[in-house]
Amino acid sequence: MKELKKKISLSIDGKKITARPGMRILSAALSRGIWIPNLCFIPEADLPFGGCRLCWVEVEGEREPVTACSRPVREGMVVRTRGPLAERLRKSAFELLLSRHHLDCRNCRKNKNCGLQEIARRCRYQLKPGRFTRENPGLPADDSHPDFVFNPNHCILCGKCVWVCQAKSAGILDFSRRGLECRVSTFAGEPLGESKCNGCLKCVDICPVGALFRK
Amino acid sequence: MLNPEEEIRLIREEILPGFQPPEPRFLIPILQEIQARLRYLPLAGLRIVSDYLGMSAAAVWGTATFYSQFRFAPPGQNQVKICLGTACHIKGGEAILESWERELKIKIDETTPDRAFSLERVACVGCCALAPVMAVNDLIVGKSSPISVKGVILKSQIPNKSQ
Amino acid sequence: MKRNIAIRIQEAWEHLQNRVQGGEERKDIPEIRLGTATCGRASGALETLAAFREEISRNSLQVRLLEVGCVGHCYAEPIAVVANPGFPPILYGSVTPGVARRLVRDFLGAGDPCLEFALGAVEENEKIPSIFELPRFRMEKKIILEHAGWIDPARGEEYLLRGGYRGLFQALGMDPREVIRAVKAAGIRGLGGAGFPAGEKWETCRAFPGKPKYVVGNGDEGDPGAFMDRALLESDPFSVLEGMTIAGYAVGSRRGFLYVRAEYPLAVERARAAMESLRGLGLLGKDILNSGFDFEIELVRGAGAFVCGESTALQASIEGKRGMPRVRPPHSVERGLWGKPTLLNNLKTLAVAARVLDQGSPWFRSFGTPRSKGTVVFSLAGKIQNTGLIEVPMGTTLRELVFASGGGVPKKKTLKAIQIGGPSGGCLPASLADTPVDFDSLNAAGSIMGSGGMVILDEDDCVVRTARFFLDFTQKESCGKCTPCRIGTYQMLKILNNLVLGKGSDSELKLLEDLAFEVQEGSLCGLGQTAPNPVLSTLRYFRDEYEAHYREGRCPARACRDLIAYYILPEKCSRACEVCVGACPVEAIATGAKGIKVIDQNKCVKCGSCYGDCPPEFQAVIKVSPPAKLREYEAKSSFPRKLTNDDLRLTNENEKK
Repeated sequence: MKELKKKISLSIDGKKITARPGMRILSAALSRGIWIPNLCFIPEADLPFGGCRLCWVEVEGEREPVTACSRPVREGMVVRTRGPLAERLRKSAFELLLSRHHLDCRNCRKNKNCGLQEIARRCRYQLKPGRFTRENPGLPADDSHPDFVFNPNHCILCGKCVWVCQAKSAGILDFSRRGLECRVSTFAGEPLGESKCNGCLKCVDICPVGALFRK
Repeated sequence: MLNPEEEIRLIREEILPGFQPPEPRFLIPILQEIQARLRYLPLAGLRIVSDYLGMSAAAVWGTATFYSQFRFAPPGQNQVKICLGTACHIKGGEAILESWERELKIKIDETTPDRAFSLERVACVGCCALAPVMAVNDLIVGKSSPISVKGVILKSQIPNKSQ
Repeated sequence: MKRNIAIRIQEAWEHLQNRVQGGEERKDIPEIRLGTATCGRASGALETLAAFREEISRNSLQVRLLEVGCVGHCYAEPIAVVANPGFPPILYGSVTPGVARRLVRDFLGAGDPCLEFALGAVEENEKIPSIFELPRFRMEKKIILEHAGWIDPARGEEYLLRGGYRGLFQALGMDPREVIRAVKAAGIRGLGGAGFPAGEKWETCRAFPGKPKYVVGNGDEGDPGAFMDRALLESDPFSVLEGMTIAGYAVGSRRGFLYVRAEYPLAVERARAAMESLRGLGLLGKDILNSGFDFEIELVRGAGAFVCGESTALQASIEGKRGMPRVRPPHSVERGLWGKPTLLNNLKTLAVAARVLDQGSPWFRSFGTPRSKGTVVFSLAGKIQNTGLIEVPMGTTLRELVFASGGGVPKKKTLKAIQIGGPSGGCLPASLADTPVDFDSLNAAGSIMGSGGMVILDEDDCVVRTARFFLDFTQKESCGKCTPCRIGTYQMLKILNNLVLGKGSDSELKLLEDLAFEVQEGSLCGLGQTAPNPVLSTLRYFRDEYEAHYREGRCPARACRDLIAYYILPEKCSRACEVCVGACPVEAIATGAKGIKVIDQNKCVKCGSCYGDCPPEFQAVIKVSPPAKLREYEAKSSFPRKLTNDDLRLTNENEKK
């Protein structure tokens, strides 16, 4: 038991920090105020989702970058958040997300309060899909609920709303279909206003982008 | 074909009792059984399954839509599946698919207006050695050709001529 | 105490052996074993079966007619072995209903072995040449498929009679740790694709605290172009079930799940029948062989998702969830099914474990190369003479597989490339045909062992089109969870879709290559990480073909349909033959002046039927790329190049007659 309680020390971008065994790099970093770009990370969740692929870091002695959300900390670990390979993979994922995101910040309710904007600002990326052409998925928004709207064209499939709805609320949301067709959906896509949604709005609060917003 | 009430009765009385005690792991086997009996998954049936297993309806929908086996509308009387695995691809499976589309005047994943045929693709039926392959009502036809499509359609139109 | 158990197991084993041998049928009546696995059925084996039955009863003969699985010679299906007392058992190929009737009448009825239909005797003898003299059989070493095609897959007795379950019997007499040591000593590597050492996996799973533990047999053979697992389950499910039981004993599990693809209904049916038979023999269920060890196996059917070959996705699927892979660690051996330690192995790996426990690690290590032990099963398909399954020692070269065993490329075409490992694998050019098949050599060449699908491409196959095919597949099968796989493969596919239309640019090709790297490195699970392999390997070996597509609008292999046209060379056309006209599904070919066949380019759908069917002695149909080249041919020809109204009138009149 004593062994388990021992703290692990590691360094991130030269800053020495400690972490509990079993913690992963991203939790350790965020809890010490070191920011690593991420969109799908939920501190409370049992296992990291690992879908957005933005939290790339490089670990000294390893050839390939790793996602900070999934890699457990190790004693003496030396982590760099801005290695060239990590940056390349991060930027690639960021551009890919933007290539299927309806970029319409001016009219977006999350303007100035959006995870994508924050990453662009702090990483000095342009808020553009870069090498890719932009495609708006062109799906209908669901505004049938009295309190909030779901606009799938802004959704980046981080899964946070699905997690919070299932773990903490009515469980009316899940992913449906797969691949590029994958969506956050109610049963058979029924309108939110007709579903068993209890209006807790936790999904709205956790959404990092403008896919779910209050009316 | 059954009417909606009969479908529900069949699911409740004939299918669900075979899966005891209700556990989420029975979801896919139950859906497979429903589809084996009804040839598709009616939405009302999915609701009943979700109640029975104590799973959220959204999760049932999420699982059902994830797997390509499941369909949510009844298929045609003759279900044609074109194999588009690697071997079938290089041996001209696409041409066979197009031949079906041309002959039936429908596209992949559609059903003819008279409900006689529906057309699906399948990733690989594992009969690569006999490529190109198509499956007509689960009977696998090996070494098929674009022209053989006409024959299969003709054969299906002869009444009571089963294999 | 331990000794007592050993004696009890020994007694139970002897009792079982006596029971099985005592039940053996009389040797003096003829026996027919017909392969009715899926390939056999697709070649008409069920009609052959009916013909055998009818003819046997018509001649009032006493014959034992059995359905077996697949010996791997798909090109010669339906296949039957006929054992007629007084003759060695003989293997027949292409047994149509007509041949079946003759075998019953002439061979069983009148003693003429109809050697014109025989591939050879299946035992060495003095009368009839044996199949083991054929190059294919000489090359093969069957460990995994040892019993496939020879036994009735529904009767455990037959498996026992051929030495089955000796592995489990040995294992039960050992300490579980010793069993794991044997697997480690043999150097078994996972045959599902990655080649992870099996013994280490077993060891970690055993060592990890937590109960219950589960064993999963991964039969989600999703790789299009691979059918080893299907054939194994349809032909000899026992080896897999025995291996699973041994694994259960070794890691301390009492419950296994056999996961089988939805697309394999016959495999499901036969595996279920086999489990029933094993329960009857006391080899599955409670207190196996009086050892006190209980093990139950449940069959789970997949529902059509390639990603479920990935271990965490497969487990989610068994739990009734969406098959979305999760991050690792924790690994399945620590936290798998329902959060419990779970051992997941490919079916072939499990079958191998059963043999190793029976015959010992040194025996197994005597096959293969220093770092890849044992054998490997490949399914040979595509442009190859003898399609089918083949099992050879690791280290056999691709050339030996394709030419010596596979009989080479049909129609005198040249070998262009060998695609190994399906959508996760790579395309190796013919120049690398001397690469040995083992995990490391294939990796170094830019492919992977994969699950064992091997598709042969000839000069008519375009690597760009093939790469597009695989990307289209993985893109459709992506679960959608992670960004690079969900959107990255889609962006790659868009570029490839353009290339096969002859569109693109140097910068798009660079984007394709860059993105391939980013998807490979950046994806969450094996599906995304390996999805770019077909693109990267073809770019590595066939870059010029990619460039020809967008720079010249030309497909060097003349396979991309938007970049080709079909043309009938008037001077080669036989004029009297009508094969192409009959093969054309859209009536685009008509008879022109002097009987020469002419393709109406406006009607032609470029399906290639005429090209494939034009008899080899004429070879009059050619493909040209880019299509504009058609005019050169037409200008050169002294024959009329287009159908005139007169020609059409003549054709119509001919048809009326």
